[in-house]
Formats: sequence, structure tokens, C-alpha cells
Amino acid sequence: MAFTSPNITAYAVEATEFPDLARRYQVSGVPKTVVNDSVEILGALPQDAYVVQALSALSAPSAPSAPSATSGQPEDQPKG
Amino acid sequence: MSLISEADQAKLRAAFGEMTSPVRLMFFTQTLDCETCLQTRQILDELPPLSDKISIEEVNLILEGDKAKQYGIDRAPAIALVGGNGHGMVDSRIRFLGTPAGYEFISLIQAVLLVGGRPAGLSPENRARLAAVNVPVTIQVFTTPT
Repeated sequence: MAFTSPNITAYAVEATEFPDLARRYQVSGVPKTVVNDSVEILGALPQDAYVVQALSALSAPSAPSAPSATSGQPEDQPKG
Repeated sequence: MSLISEADQAKLRAAFGEMTSPVRLMFFTQTLDCETCLQTRQILDELPPLSDKISIEEVNLILEGDKAKQYGIDRAPAIALVGGNGHGMVDSRIRFLGTPAGYEFISLIQAVLLVGGRPAGLSPENRARLAAVNVPVTIQVFTTPT
């Protein structure tokens, strides 16, 4: 992504070597992706989902956000 | 003695043989308080003998602080990949913080191949999404060696 977009910089961070960073970003499992300090992606995702989620940081508030309260799928199926 | 087995060296040599442009590994290091800097340098030193397109430039984090800042590096060991684009060397904006051992070594090799000319493997849709990014974005991916 960084190689493709001139506005993106990507860091692969070895968490055990930099415990201060791991603590700051509350890394309890890997891989964990943090985008602009505002969006977190846990684990690996398919390419589409990963890019979309990562770029959702552009519309997210800059402060670290609390985990989303919405956990399930919205059930507003219009009926058949 | 090499850190990489002969079989793996042959595989790497073949993969690097596909590279179409040069890649420079900027290695940020410091003399004191860096337990893994030496090991990182040893790992990186394995690569240039496998390809004439790969080079290493060592940057002292303390003595060359301005250069480190230019690449957004504030700790060691760290690696920034710079690639040739036909006109000169251009920052790929791909960084590695920490020792590139274990899976990180594989990630580093993948990054070298990408900067060296291998297609990124992004779908047209994702290319379009990335082309629309017009503000600075920093992505950090935390990993462990195993």
C-alpha cells in the first residue's frame, strides 16, 4: 500500500523488541495493524477488507476510539 | 558462516534475479543500547552477495539524526527501503523496525522484491482506493518473530 500510494508510509514493527510501542498500541496479539493511531485491524484479512478498513482511518477521529459497540449484523432485512 | 542455508540462498538468488531495479536497504543503527543492531546488520549483509541490485547503506541514528528524521526513524535497528525508478533513488515508504528474523525476514524479502520491480498484487479496485488517498497515512503492522 505504501509503495502504491505516495501518501502512505508503512512500518513493520517487531513487537517484542519495542515493548514501549506494543504497550502504547495495546498489542496483545499479532498481526495487529494500527492506522493513523485511530483504526485497528486484528489478524489477517482478505485484501479488499484490509484496504477498506485501513483507509477508514481517513474518516475516523484522530483519538484512539473505543471498540465499537455494534457487534452483530444489523437485522433490518426488508422482507421478501 | 552464512546465516542462510545454501538451498535458501539459491532460492533467494533466483527470486532476486527477477528484479528490474536496484534496492537500497537503509540500515539505521546505533552503537550503544542496541542489543539487536549487530544481528540485524549480519542478516542484511547476507543479501548483497545474492544480487548486484541490492545494496546497504548504514546510517547512524545519533550521528546522522537528520537523515533518520527524514525517513521517520527514531529507533534502532530499523530499515528503510529505497528503490531506483530510472531517474534516481526514491523512498518506498516501507520501513522495518526491529530485527528482520523469522517471518519478518520473509516480509523483508517480499518488500525488496516489490521495490525491485515485482507487481504489487493489488486489485484494480484497491489501486483506485489507494490512488484516492490525498492525506498522509501511517500504517503500523505489529508482528513477532515466530
